[in-house]
Amino acid sequence: MRVIHLKLAARNVRRQPHRTLALGGAVAFSALIMTLISGFVNGMDLAVQDNVTLYSGGHVLISGSTASWSGKPQNRFTDDKVAQIAKSVGAGVLTVSPLAQSRATVVFGTREIQLVIRGVEWGKDKLYHDSLILSKGDWKGLEPSRTMLMSAQTANRFGLAAGDQVTVRLTTASGQENVTNYTVGAIYDDSAAGGMNTAFVSFGDLVADLNMKSNEQQEIAVFLKNSTGAEAVATKISSLMSFQGYTVSRGVASAPSASNQAQSASFMSSDALTAPMGGATQSQAGGARLAEGTVRYRVSTIQDLAGEIGSALGSIRWIGYAVFALMLIVSATGISNSYRMVLLERTKEIGMLRCIGYKKRDVFSSFIAEGIILAGGSALLGAIVALPVGLCVGLIPFNPHGDFGSALVKGHLLFAPTIGQLALIFVFVTIVAIAAVYFPARRAAEVVPVEALRKIA
Amino acid sequence: MNGARAVTTKFVHAKLTGKLSLVLFGLVLVFSARAQSAPAGGGHGGGGGPMGGIGLPLNFLQADKDYKFPDDIAKYSANDFLMLVRRTDIRSSFYNSDMSATISMVSVSPVRGTFANKQQIYRRDKDDAFLMIMVEPESRKGQGMLRVDNNMWRYDPTSRKFTHTTLKDTYENSTVTNNDFRRWQRSIDYSVVSITTGTLGNYKVIIGELKANNDEVPFPYIKMYIEADRKIVLKVEEYSLSMKLLRTAYYTQYVQIGDSLIPTVQIFQDGLIPEKRSQVTYTDISTKSLPDYYFTKEYLERVSQ
Repeated sequence: MRVIHLKLAARNVRRQPHRTLALGGAVAFSALIMTLISGFVNGMDLAVQDNVTLYSGGHVLISGSTASWSGKPQNRFTDDKVAQIAKSVGAGVLTVSPLAQSRATVVFGTREIQLVIRGVEWGKDKLYHDSLILSKGDWKGLEPSRTMLMSAQTANRFGLAAGDQVTVRLTTASGQENVTNYTVGAIYDDSAAGGMNTAFVSFGDLVADLNMKSNEQQEIAVFLKNSTGAEAVATKISSLMSFQGYTVSRGVASAPSASNQAQSASFMSSDALTAPMGGATQSQAGGARLAEGTVRYRVSTIQDLAGEIGSALGSIRWIGYAVFALMLIVSATGISNSYRMVLLERTKEIGMLRCIGYKKRDVFSSFIAEGIILAGGSALLGAIVALPVGLCVGLIPFNPHGDFGSALVKGHLLFAPTIGQLALIFVFVTIVAIAAVYFPARRAAEVVPVEALRKIA
Repeated sequence: MNGARAVTTKFVHAKLTGKLSLVLFGLVLVFSARAQSAPAGGGHGGGGGPMGGIGLPLNFLQADKDYKFPDDIAKYSANDFLMLVRRTDIRSSFYNSDMSATISMVSVSPVRGTFANKQQIYRRDKDDAFLMIMVEPESRKGQGMLRVDNNMWRYDPTSRKFTHTTLKDTYENSTVTNNDFRRWQRSIDYSVVSITTGTLGNYKVIIGELKANNDEVPFPYIKMYIEADRKIVLKVEEYSLSMKLLRTAYYTQYVQIGDSLIPTVQIFQDGLIPEKRSQVTYTDISTKSLPDYYFTKEYLERVSQ
């Protein structure tokens, strides 16, 4: 393709502005929709990963279960070597900290609510200090023992303020009922944390409430520089642990579906994400009883934990692809039909061009160039227009406690298209345009000059 | 000649094979019957033998029969009280027969208000098994719960799915737990710490403080109020590990059926939110023998349709 072809194509595009606008508009609209869909799905992906990290406490989680005297697995373990193994992985590991967690009933007056309570070592914590925005109280308010960091959603529901005392009913690691009191030390803005309503207390306090020894933990959270390395780190930790003789499995355990969990877990709530880790003993339905003291570990990543949400986003992505494909087909049909008309309109012109020395290849190339300019330019325009539209849609507030709460950033959709996605859209649209113009262009190239001139005359 | 011999040999072979099949079939029948009549002991303690059952310590029922209680409640020792608890366990259960009844439940909650439902329960205490099917309200009709072989499931006819549940889970967000529908076995799960005497309304009672025998019993401490004359439990307080009152159960009415004394009216009051309480009433109690297939997931699935 030479410059002359491009010049001729550009002139032809400008020659019939109405047709160019109609065709280009359709292509631009397809590109706009695809840019919006891919940008928002990408943003949701990023939001989910950040929120899942918040819900789970780290990018990689090592959970341990020890068989009790009766052979039932209890979510607790003591081995310090496991943390050392996690630290030894090195690459990208920022912090390795113990976690304890329990599904609890928090009671205030005559009201009660089911919450996940997580024990955090405030002295070592970086994740929550960096990610959570306190709406009431400050981090110093959480320094005394038996203080709780509560979500604004829960606090508002109870009419709680910093300094109020709540009663917490939970199940110990072995499955016994326990009741303790906590003072609300601070309240965090849950709308800025993907609608998370987990309550946080000191790790030591929760370990005591769960009737665990001070050196016991339920999980080890590994916090990485970024989430992309989580799978690699998890695989490395699993293989190192297996090599040292530990019984390790990968991924998220199938949910026990205990009634309370099943009732409260919606597919995109933070509860659903934290459900696999429970303080209480889970009976082994039909399973063989383990020898007392047998410890089994499970290494999971935020990608595993975000599995359900990830698959939902995958569905959205596929719907987007289907819409894009449909739009492309419609546009391609439009382009193809238009260029058939163009061929009829320009038969005389093509004949003239052939008479003055244009070859078949030149006619063909000028048609293809016209298609590329029209579709490529429109795709570019669509993608550019999509950017402010996406940013404006990102300003619309959504309910962070709704089904898609985990896919929001501070209650808003994140629009984050990548250069790769934009390039892919551009390439796709252009290829489809070339394919649509191909047959009319070939027919145009096959026009016999003398016949063309005679026919029109 | 050879042909005749071959036919004879074939005939003898066929006859022997037929007889062998019959013998094998008979053996299978005998073992099946044995397996059904004497289930293997579960949990710790074994069981089995005459009058035995799943999860019961050896001689659990026999020792109770021969036990002589002191005439004066002031003379009760810790062991006497434990045997009294065992007596209440045994008499509130049906180890010689099956049991079926209609359960009406009314729950009051300051947040959720009042709600009522009705269930049909089928119990086989010697196997520690029960099947419960929701009858009312209409919107929840067919929902069920099955406990068999130390496993427990909930069944939802809408989704047609079984979900695993445990004895300590609450029933229908009330103050009733799944464990309350099962046979009593406090004398197995607890040891006596101390006993005193007192009165509860017009009744003279022995008050025993009990501690769980292991760390897997949901309520680590309980306090039982037992009327010594009739040997029935009137009130049970359940405490948390931190000794906070979690729930109080009142057994206000009993009905005698054969050797059993069944608490037909049971009231459960929450310890943390006293305004939250439930009343469970048993009616239409029957001890008619139940078919084995009642205690299967297939039956629950079928009957829930």
